[in-house]
Amino acid sequence: MSGLAARDDASAAHALSDPSPAGGAARHAVVLDGISKSFPVRRTWGEMARQPTLRPRAPVLQNVSLAVAEGEFFGLLGPNGAGKTTLFKMLATLVLPDSGTATVGGYDVVGEASKVRSVLAPVIADERSLYWRLTASQNLELFAKLQGMRGAAIGKRVTEVLAIVGLSDTKEKIVAAFSSGMKQRLLIARALVAQPRVLLLDEPTRSLDPISARGFRTFLRDEISGRQGCTVLLATHSADEVLELCTRVAVLDHGRLLATGTTTSLARDLGEERYALYTRDANHPALAALVQRGIVGALAVRGDEDGWSRVEMELAGGMERASQVVAMLGEQGVVIARFERVPLPLADLIDRIVRRSAEGSSNA
Amino acid sequence: MREALALIQASWRTQRSYRVSIILSILSLGVTVLPVYFISKALQPYAAASIANQGGNYFGFLVIGFIALIFVSTTVSSIPDAVGAGIGNGTLEALLSTRASIPSLLAGMVGYSFLWTAVKAVLFLALAMVLGLHLSLAASLSGIFILVLIVLAHIPFALIAASLVLAFRTTGQIPSIVMIASGLLGGVYWSMQAKIIPPWVHAIGDYVPLAPGLRALRQTLLTGAPLSSVMPDVLLLIGFIVMLNAIGLIAFVEALRYARRTGTLAQY
Repeated sequence: MSGLAARDDASAAHALSDPSPAGGAARHAVVLDGISKSFPVRRTWGEMARQPTLRPRAPVLQNVSLAVAEGEFFGLLGPNGAGKTTLFKMLATLVLPDSGTATVGGYDVVGEASKVRSVLAPVIADERSLYWRLTASQNLELFAKLQGMRGAAIGKRVTEVLAIVGLSDTKEKIVAAFSSGMKQRLLIARALVAQPRVLLLDEPTRSLDPISARGFRTFLRDEISGRQGCTVLLATHSADEVLELCTRVAVLDHGRLLATGTTTSLARDLGEERYALYTRDANHPALAALVQRGIVGALAVRGDEDGWSRVEMELAGGMERASQVVAMLGEQGVVIARFERVPLPLADLIDRIVRRSAEGSSNA
Repeated sequence: MREALALIQASWRTQRSYRVSIILSILSLGVTVLPVYFISKALQPYAAASIANQGGNYFGFLVIGFIALIFVSTTVSSIPDAVGAGIGNGTLEALLSTRASIPSLLAGMVGYSFLWTAVKAVLFLALAMVLGLHLSLAASLSGIFILVLIVLAHIPFALIAASLVLAFRTTGQIPSIVMIASGLLGGVYWSMQAKIIPPWVHAIGDYVPLAPGLRALRQTLLTGAPLSSVMPDVLLLIGFIVMLNAIGLIAFVEALRYARRTGTLAQY
């Protein structure tokens, strides 16, 4: 685990945990093999005048390899600028890779782009990409026709997807009168209208309030992934979303794939065990001594509840070691009201992966 | 084709929701026809000689010129405008993510503009006929054929302008240049055979696709000339179409590839 930072991107991701889809033998809906992409860097007039022949480029994706099984709900995590949206646009045939190959449903995104578009639907664009002066059903009818649907099947499917996203009651309302949440649902409906096998969702809850976002996640899990059986790739900043929805997750930063695996395996492999104890004396010398002796990592005192402080600490060695620490503190006279394991928040986990990768790069 | 029709229907549904715009657009036709009528009457004695082989009536000469020019305007501006708007609001990416082919999408994105231009042209002609314009209705099919050729001959300029929008977010002033060249050198307002036009301007005018198109269109619609008698101009137009469309298509395909390479399909 600790060797993660020293490995190169692809090998680190592979070494961390199983990079193949859960189950191993499952068929792949999406396969990326050594995908790299860079974009030209915009320069000032002065820079261009000084070095007119220079053509600097910024890497956006660097040798990214991963596989997603059919029917899998796969999360893509990473900070802004990590390369998530570019990766999605590449899968949607809107951006060409510089090198490497990518297939969706077995079709190559460069050589068989039209076939890729027949099995994949992206929800990348924002709500402006809807036709605001048309009604919800007119928007969906349009895209059903563009996806090659004909005749009575269009009306039937439009009715179905409107029901799926909960917009049946407002199907004759023009989109301009919709709330952000309703527009987001309509974008999903638009993607679903042609019954895609693979669905790409780029931060789908970014414009939803917390209650709508929760409802939307339930809808994604139960309806889209559960009943529709779609393979879903979800790019998000929300740890909650990933924990609630995804079977596996990949972490991207500056275009590099830092880790892939199940959310639980990521936490197990990368998250050092964290505990919290509640005591009346957060400044007791026995606590400081644990740090000085290297038994626990740094202490963090968080909050005060009726005179009880919550002290968080990182402690390796599992429950056995934890029980020894509790015993040691008890012997020293530290009054402990509660001692519990704290799961590492996924956001911290990503931060840690990114930081370790950066440290590894600077050491190398 | 069905995909294009679906987009045209969507455009119609969108446009009809802007009622004031539609009403003003129709009213403006009347405002245009009346001054043309009175100015042409005033200039008829001076223009008659130079347009003798194109019907000899300056009002008819101008009306046909204006109709051809609004089709040229729609052609050279609608494609880059549609592409630019699609990039700006994100619909282009959404459309390109569907199974529809690029020619279908382009046809659908601009189809409504052409239909609306055709409606305006018919209304314009009807108003002109009320004011005394005489058209050879028997030759109307030939006239429509020539008008289609004029449009096709100008599509390459639109494709090149749209390519520049895709790649560099500018039309390169191509629509304006084509409109100015067509207006001044294509014979919209005066006959290129008029004595006051210097010979070197004649020479440049030979390279403006609208010039042979308008000559053929006027002779057909205003004098009832059969298509066979305007065949040299028709063949010249077809020559423009064959030569220029290849350039326009290559430019558009390459610009789309460039935008996909640089990831700028949705960045304005």
